[in-house]
Amino acid sequence: MINVRGLTKDYVEEGVVTTSALRGVSFTINKGDFVSIIGPSGSGKSTLLQILSFLDRPTAGTYTFNGRSIENMSDRELAHVRNKQMGFVFQAFNLLSRLSVYENIEIPLVYSTVPVPQRKKLIEDAVESVGLAEKLHTETGKLSGGQKQRIAIARALVNKPDVIFADEPTGNLDSKSGAQVMGILDALNAQGHTVILVTHETYTAEFANRIISLRDGAVESDKPVKSPRRSTDQFFK
Amino acid sequence: MKLTDSIKSARATLKHGKTRSLLTMLGIVIGIASVIILMSIGQSAQDLILNQVQGIGSNLIFVIPGGTNGKFQSPAAAQGIIIKTLVQADVDALSREPSISGVAPIVNGQAAAVYGENNLTVTYQGVTANFFAMRNYTIVNGMPFTDQDVNAYNHVAVIGNDLAKTLFGPNINPVGKSFRLGNTTFRVDGVLKPMGIGPGGVNQDDLVLIPVTVAQNQMLGINYFQYVLVEGNPDYTLTFVTGRIQAVLEQDHGITDRSKDDFTIETQQDLLSVLGSITSILTIFLTAIASISLVVGGIGIMNIMLVSVIERTREIGLRKAVGATDADILQQFLVEAVMLTFIGGVIGIAIGAFFVTLVYLVLSNFFSIGWVFAFPISAVVIAVVVSTVTGVGFGIYPARQAARKSPIEALRYE
Repeated sequence: MINVRGLTKDYVEEGVVTTSALRGVSFTINKGDFVSIIGPSGSGKSTLLQILSFLDRPTAGTYTFNGRSIENMSDRELAHVRNKQMGFVFQAFNLLSRLSVYENIEIPLVYSTVPVPQRKKLIEDAVESVGLAEKLHTETGKLSGGQKQRIAIARALVNKPDVIFADEPTGNLDSKSGAQVMGILDALNAQGHTVILVTHETYTAEFANRIISLRDGAVESDKPVKSPRRSTDQFFK
Repeated sequence: MKLTDSIKSARATLKHGKTRSLLTMLGIVIGIASVIILMSIGQSAQDLILNQVQGIGSNLIFVIPGGTNGKFQSPAAAQGIIIKTLVQADVDALSREPSISGVAPIVNGQAAAVYGENNLTVTYQGVTANFFAMRNYTIVNGMPFTDQDVNAYNHVAVIGNDLAKTLFGPNINPVGKSFRLGNTTFRVDGVLKPMGIGPGGVNQDDLVLIPVTVAQNQMLGINYFQYVLVEGNPDYTLTFVTGRIQAVLEQDHGITDRSKDDFTIETQQDLLSVLGSITSILTIFLTAIASISLVVGGIGIMNIMLVSVIERTREIGLRKAVGATDADILQQFLVEAVMLTFIGGVIGIAIGAFFVTLVYLVLSNFFSIGWVFAFPISAVVIAVVVSTVTGVGFGIYPARQAARKSPIEALRYE
């Protein structure tokens, strides 16, 4: 599903390379995997996530997603793939506070070809899968941090993506809410979604089946997790 | 992104910041309201003036002393220069012309009208008896003076409707009563029906009409006329009649070179055309000034939209992350700007309509001016188009700024 070979990302200012964020990263992620990318600050994990999620392009190396190379795709095509095949969960939730839960979850559908009458069912299914069906018409400003992140996951799910990118999804949450969110991601993976999690917390990373560890822009280790953690919160199973 | 989704999103955004939205569109509201009010009042003023000129009668012709050097130059008499070339001999010569059915020489003056304690400065006109019929002046009380009164230098007068009340009092019948005009005492023979402001801005309800002979010889001490009103015989065309007037007066004045004519002939059409041009130019000029406020309003919208783009940087990043293209973001912000100006335009039209109606009611009911209510559809169409174009024009730059944002930098924005 995801295949990167010799991925390099340099940040250049006035013709001079100021930072080499990635230095020849290579790995493969298969459909249905739950992979954590970990590393200390400055290791290149956020840059890697941005390239994997089509928000940025590599300086060198190859990246194929579902058999298509990023090099040959226009910005419009990248946006289309992000919309239809990728879901995003951010540390800061990135919900629009002036919109209701329903309207926030609807955002990806607005940029897809899903007709308006069919949106309602998709949104209801998504919000139900994160256990917040009763909050559908609540203003997002009135939700707790954990609820906000669950709504953000519902927004990531609504277009039924192949892969969910989660960037420090528990970073702004207390341990109980964090456990709930990890439980949802675990459940989604069990349903067949590929989940790619970026975190600096080893504890959270161990919910995945595999951990790719980065240091100074290169892969330090790429190991399976022998016994992945499971959320103690069984509500979402 | 569908346009309906952009409209829905813009509506939610504007509704969320109601106060800001209202303040942002204030400039457009004022601009559109000003344009609407000026266009409507301009149209009303034009209609009023043209109606008054048309009220003179379509086959009436004015003969004014003094020539004109160019088509757009006013005759000398109209510029206040005293010219003494139109005299009784001209009136007699014109009266003999078969294509002319009526000739009414006129002189004007101002004097104090005194009755008891009341003392008013009034405009009087010295006219002949046929003047009343030629101008369709109706007497509501008493009767007009006659040719015999004119020939006998009788001190009789017909007065305007308002003057009858202000000079004699509201409950006194002025007919048969005497009042002093200047140093001469006149008896009121008749009172005119209310007519409002006439051509040239004269309030016809404050007029005093007296025999032209008395006005010329005893009040003003002159032997010429300030203008002569000529009524064409309906059996002849207006062009033929004006040609005949010209020929008769040239012969009377011994003029052989037409460019040296010492009189000017003006028909109602000439007046309509000149007055129509003047009022149109005035309306366009005033509307252009009002349009400046639209530009100021547009700049206000651009300013707030630029602030909005900065404030919503993370939102732009999120939208791009979940699949929005540059064109989608551009469309979203442009629709917001256009919606602001469009709603501002609609509110401006409503406020404009309110003030136009208010002006109509005040002028009609309190000033007795025959104000014509005009709310031109063209003004509404122009207002809607201009406000929308303003939205596009001033919204495109902020929208492009939004569309160009990198999703990564936008998501990182604090």
